[in-house]
Amino acid sequence: MDFSVITANFQFLVVQGLLGLGGFTGGTLRLAIPAIGLGFLLGIVIGVARLARTPWLHVPATVYVEFFRGVPLVMVIFWIWFIVPQLLGLPIPEYGVALTAFVVFEAAYFGEIVRAGIQSVPRGQVEAATAVGLTGAQTLRFVVLPQAIRNMVPSLVTQMIVLFKDTSLASIIGYVDLTKAAQIVNNREIRPFELYLFVAVVYWIFTYSMSLAARRFERRASTT
Amino acid sequence: MLWSGQSGHWLLQGMLTTLAISALGWILAAALGVLAGALRTVPWRPLRALATAYVEFFRNVPLLVWMFFWYFGVPPLLPEPVRQWLFDHSAEFWAGMVALGVYHGARMSEVIRSGIQAIPRTQFEAAVAMGLTTGQAYRLVIVPIALRLIVPPATSESLNLLKNSSVALTISVAELTFQTRQIETYTAKAIEALTAGTVIYLVLCLSIATIMARLERRFAIPGMIARGR
Amino acid sequence: MRRILALTLVLALGAAALAAPAWSQEGTLDKIAKTGVLTIGTRTASPPFAYVNKSNEWVGFSIDLVEQLIKPQVEKAVGKPIKVEKKESTPPTRIPLLSSNAVDLIAGTMTDTPQRRESVDFSLTFFYTGAQFLVKKGSPIRGVKDIAGKRIASQQGSTNAKIIREKYPQAQLREFPDQPAAFQALVQGQVDAYTNDGIQLYGLKAKAANPAQWEVVGDFYSEEPYGMAMRKGDAKFKQVVDAGLRHGFESGKYFELYDKWFGPKGEVPYPMTPQVKAYLLKQIGK
Repeated sequence: MDFSVITANFQFLVVQGLLGLGGFTGGTLRLAIPAIGLGFLLGIVIGVARLARTPWLHVPATVYVEFFRGVPLVMVIFWIWFIVPQLLGLPIPEYGVALTAFVVFEAAYFGEIVRAGIQSVPRGQVEAATAVGLTGAQTLRFVVLPQAIRNMVPSLVTQMIVLFKDTSLASIIGYVDLTKAAQIVNNREIRPFELYLFVAVVYWIFTYSMSLAARRFERRASTT
Repeated sequence: MLWSGQSGHWLLQGMLTTLAISALGWILAAALGVLAGALRTVPWRPLRALATAYVEFFRNVPLLVWMFFWYFGVPPLLPEPVRQWLFDHSAEFWAGMVALGVYHGARMSEVIRSGIQAIPRTQFEAAVAMGLTTGQAYRLVIVPIALRLIVPPATSESLNLLKNSSVALTISVAELTFQTRQIETYTAKAIEALTAGTVIYLVLCLSIATIMARLERRFAIPGMIARGR
Repeated sequence: MRRILALTLVLALGAAALAAPAWSQEGTLDKIAKTGVLTIGTRTASPPFAYVNKSNEWVGFSIDLVEQLIKPQVEKAVGKPIKVEKKESTPPTRIPLLSSNAVDLIAGTMTDTPQRRESVDFSLTFFYTGAQFLVKKGSPIRGVKDIAGKRIASQQGSTNAKIIREKYPQAQLREFPDQPAAFQALVQGQVDAYTNDGIQLYGLKAKAANPAQWEVVGDFYSEEPYGMAMRKGDAKFKQVVDAGLRHGFESGKYFELYDKWFGPKGEVPYPMTPQVKAYLLKQIGK
């Protein structure tokens, strides 16, 4: 077991693979952070649409959710990588492909969490809001969503952790994230045990911190 | 769509491989999940700590990394006869299965743990009062009830396992997604290949979900919560 | 109900996709003129054609050919300076990447074959080699006649995989998504031999941790002329690429680059035989 391969390539692995600064298109964080943000926003749209009364909104939203929850993320990545550029007639860079795939896929899951969160707000709140004179949209924005978001934080953070881990799949299309950087080094040096253990630990540091932060938030917020 | 001959054959093989690796992985995951989930609720600190360490380490690392780790990193460390056997018998399939089983075992343990914790403590106390040891109480009373409670989230996790089997293509397991790429490589018909694969996954997932929903209704324990995540 | 909806959506998608005729046919040169970027698909672990070296830089013979021979010609054709962007492509992904417009040119280790010419166009041949086997020193496998019943690794989508699968079905063929995966399988003993074009095997051997452990064996069981692939029917772009290679042959720049990578002091010494040199020059009428 020879860990010098890690120290020799540490800069490449962390600076290029994790942060995305260097000669290759890549970076786990550069992909994960926007994906989480945009995925959540799209998820709110989907989640709210699923609860809408008009079928024009809730049927497409339901089909969307059922579809993306029934196929593997790897498939979605391949679709966007090969087919979308053909259909649109434009090339899409790897970063764009990966980001789109993650946002579109995870939005289905975020949507379900948002839906459950909204449904967990007691009906009385909505009725009180209407009684006070707020419109439907205002009720959603000022009364329901804030409470719903507080309820959904644990599931939300869990899903964000899942998304963070899923960014490793971008390596399949050549995006140089942390996993791909390890692959590149391994292809040359052939030290898989040390390299992949190192990568596992780095991922673990991030995801475990995220879950600790969530638990702290949960403890503080649960004083209701 | 022409699903005869070479392409149809590859698709069928891919689907069977996906089902095989998912089924075997599921068995491993269920076993590890029940064990770890239960251990996390027992009164002995060291057992709880061990189970927690397993869960927190394995589920917080991406499955792809585990695939590479089990396939490339572990075999060189195994004794020679084991290694030779593996290489003669599709090492990549077993590595993929172990990766899936250990990873999803960690995730399932959380589902089972919350199921166990949803059971009123009185059940456990009654079992002990009747003379059962802790181990027997878990085996004969707690775990069976918990399993019936957790059918919805367990179904969701099981479907995740099925979908995650696609990650095994990175270590050349000839599962369904790998085969759609194979078809596409040899026939250049990307859209048809991907559509076929997607439809098969959808049908598999939706069928399993429907069957499990029906099972859940049959096994639901009246009066207990845990319906709908 | 939902199941039906979802399935309908997918089948509708599939049907629409089949009906749709596919890609826009804007010429590659026009696209490059607009964006200022020539995107090439190349390998990351096929020394010395295209690979990531010890300093984690992406370099190689094919990459040099593009940057030093093709790029100037493209710049002349579009009338402005351009950038060369590299994307990773592997045997199973290179044609789809080309047809989806993700890359404009495949410059790696792609063999020019009549069957592939049905989907893509090739430039002039820029390298000539043949398929062989990489084995551990002292292995009983000495050539294609010895592979019956043995586990042979190859890259998914390569000419080698196709030939072994069709002509030598008694061998146990295992296909891997790329060269490093196949090589690791060989290193770990999962397969008995790895088949690829001779020069790539020499490159792997040269860069391996212990080169003396490996041998390249066997007569060429197939001929492998390498060409750069581009979208079919784009005559103007093909003209430019060929002009770049032609200029390289005539001016001698090609041979300088060859010497840099394959010469006695190069990464992978592989002297060019007179027959190969004559073949390359015959393409341009010399």
